Amino acid sequence: MSFRLTIEPLGQEIEVAPGQTILDASLRAGIWLPHACCHGLCATCKVQLLDGEIDHGEASSFALMDFERDEGKLLACCARLESDATIEADIDHDEDARNIPVRDFVGTVARIEDLTPTIKGVFIDLDQAMDFQAGQYVNLEVAAPAGARRAFSIANAPADGRHIELNVRRVPGGQGTGWIHDQLRLGDRVRLAGPYGRFHVRRSAAAPMIFLAGGSGLSSPRSMILDLLAAGATEGITLVQGARSREELYYHQEFVALAAAHPNFRYVPALSDAAADADWTGFRGFVHEAAAAHFDSDFRGHQAYLCGPPVMIDACINALMQGRLFERDIYTEKFLSAADAQQARSPLFRRI
Amino acid sequence: MDVKAVPKKLGLKEKYRHLTRGLGWEPSYQTREALFPYAGYEGIRIHDWDRWEDPFRLTMDAYWKYQAEKERKFYAVIDAHAQNNGHLNITDARYLSALKIFLQAISPGEYAAHRGFARVGREFPGVGTQVACQMQAIDEIRHAQTQIHALSNYNRYYHGFHAFADARDRIWYTSVARSFFDDAMSAGPFEFMIAIGFSFEYVLTNLLFVPFMSGAAYNGDMATVTFGFSAQSDEARHMTLGLECIKFMLEQDPANVPIVQRWFDKWFWRGFRVLGLVSTMMDYMLPKRVMSWREAWEIYGVENGGALFADLARYGIRPPAGWEDAGKAIDHMSHQFMLGLYQWSFGTSFHSWIPSEEEMDWLAEKYPTTFERWYRPRWDHLRKLAAAGTPFKNFGLAKLCQCCQLPVVFTEPDDPTLSCHRELEYKQEKYHFCSDHCLRIFEDEAEKYVQAWLPMPQLFQAPLNGDVGAWMAWVGLKDGLDNGDFAGSPDQRNFEQWRRNATRNHREGEAQ
Repeated sequence: MSFRLTIEPLGQEIEVAPGQTILDASLRAGIWLPHACCHGLCATCKVQLLDGEIDHGEASSFALMDFERDEGKLLACCARLESDATIEADIDHDEDARNIPVRDFVGTVARIEDLTPTIKGVFIDLDQAMDFQAGQYVNLEVAAPAGARRAFSIANAPADGRHIELNVRRVPGGQGTGWIHDQLRLGDRVRLAGPYGRFHVRRSAAAPMIFLAGGSGLSSPRSMILDLLAAGATEGITLVQGARSREELYYHQEFVALAAAHPNFRYVPALSDAAADADWTGFRGFVHEAAAAHFDSDFRGHQAYLCGPPVMIDACINALMQGRLFERDIYTEKFLSAADAQQARSPLFRRI
Repeated sequence: MDVKAVPKKLGLKEKYRHLTRGLGWEPSYQTREALFPYAGYEGIRIHDWDRWEDPFRLTMDAYWKYQAEKERKFYAVIDAHAQNNGHLNITDARYLSALKIFLQAISPGEYAAHRGFARVGREFPGVGTQVACQMQAIDEIRHAQTQIHALSNYNRYYHGFHAFADARDRIWYTSVARSFFDDAMSAGPFEFMIAIGFSFEYVLTNLLFVPFMSGAAYNGDMATVTFGFSAQSDEARHMTLGLECIKFMLEQDPANVPIVQRWFDKWFWRGFRVLGLVSTMMDYMLPKRVMSWREAWEIYGVENGGALFADLARYGIRPPAGWEDAGKAIDHMSHQFMLGLYQWSFGTSFHSWIPSEEEMDWLAEKYPTTFERWYRPRWDHLRKLAAAGTPFKNFGLAKLCQCCQLPVVFTEPDDPTLSCHRELEYKQEKYHFCSDHCLRIFEDEAEKYVQAWLPMPQLFQAPLNGDVGAWMAWVGLKDGLDNGDFAGSPDQRNFEQWRRNATRNHREGEAQ
């Protein structure tokens, strides 16, 4: 029998299955709790039990001292429910996060479009509408490798939730994206789960926004910008879109038209290798260079949203920080490969 | 049924904010400048103290509970250690030299850090900063106390522990650590945070504590291991405070960057020099070795430091100026320093010795590019002299570096056969330095360092006037008991005797 868990200060209720840890259930419900080791040693996931019965599981007696147990502290990565319960976690209340629970969805491929020589637009009609925040992603089940799931940001605005668009770049040698590019057909049924991620616009900051997108990292920023403009946002919005060449720069005309229609929206496309595009009059160089040039290296007072390959993100963070915009105002969606995660990091930064 | 509107609960962050920020007040009959007179003179520009992120959300109430439980656990172990003759469980009595150096040089540093944090907690205008510094001030005095209590058990049986406070103030090698902390404490509040909170607590602390605590565990000293654990559980908080402070300075104003860079250069090098003491401990003083100084440097210096420097580069901060020369010194410093300690062992409140053949083989393996070529021949020579009954003593006094106060015993970064010595004349006085980096630190603040108290000149001033015997009495050093070669020392004799007594029956004529 499963129990109900209320998570304060959000006040959100979730289901916890028998034997499931509080951390696992929370993450699956879209509620991010601080955590690190995931096996009861580091105490990063220590939370307060306000009501209910729990089992501490394998929590270490050094990570969770006796007096803390007496006071109702628990380690979310080990604790399991023995009744309905309420916990209070050290969650930075994010008033812009909607904390939408993750669900499974089935849909039909309605259209496949070549956006660039390496990126396909996959349009899926869902059987049931998905509620999501612009910027979030889904895990799509792919046929190769069998049973695998691949994460893709949703490229369209939420609107009615019945239609989602994924922009899929063919990863050289990648099985999953190779299957989507070569095998997926119109009318195919697909399964996916979502929405995931905490990459969303912080409108409560009431500050002008900069979107820095590289390659197929355009998806989230596009969803966010379409959503903002449709909602009549009046804050300044700048999109710097980077691509290698003109033929890799997609949705270009759409953004040119949006910039013409909305005085608060500025569009800065940049080509890093435009040698073959003699008639290109836009910026030549990388995204971070285009951003620095456009803002004259002064990003103060903005909120920046970064989406793209890790090297691009790194270069952009450096450029933003040199332009005096710091961690608290920088949001990124990084899809890390196993090799990236291995890199030694100092604890100087938490999110970027 | 009426649906009651439940007000959203405060998050821990907001709660903490209310519990701390509410403590500050706006002055009405005094200016802020008059209240916080030291906040501005270093040139650090702060525009918004509320941008200070409290890196750990701990209230005083919760803090006392944690520390109380730590203390209970700690003193239970210390009692058990005392009651069970824990001092006989150590590998052998040479290990005690590492403890004596720690007690004479490092524990007083904890106390100095306590005073420093109490002071800067008063001097910083931001409430979040004040609370964080207050907690760290209490941590530091707790560390000093637990260390002194843990090691007091050894003082009942062995020499060299009894006068650590006098040693700290007066003896020559402890002045290295003392001058480090005095320098930090006589700096402004922001520099103090870079010196202690950042350079020492973050960049260098693992190089000091991890090898020292593992060394204690390897050598059977549970008392020391326990104060280590107890202190280490505070370190995560201390490191975070240092990191938060440097980020805060760098983000508040671009004009702060060059100032922070200069402090980073200075305090990395000063800290690295203090760690010279640790290198001798790791490579020479632990009867059972944990890892070599070089190996510790690779892990805690190169790897962690490299990751940090990459992140700091985003702010426009480059690796500290002495970083490269530090890397070049790694394969030499413990040997050069230990040779120095051996030849001046009449003036140390701990014992040193000539390493055994087996230990030299270990050193050769850990230092394949330097030990066989440069250092084994010197130890062999010293062994020959000792065997002939004419052990080498250097009764000349060491020339001290005016900045780090180490004797000028190191070699040029690129030539291990050439002694590294820098000299500078300032206002008709001649000053000596161990390295380019110490010289540069002096040049930046010459008026500060000309006031440094140096132990060697002190010996020649009134009332000692060069009388070494009087000096020994003054520093609390008992000739023939506390100092000299380990071989033949009372510590060696007693430990072996007591351990024998503990494992078999007592015989007539043996010491008790």
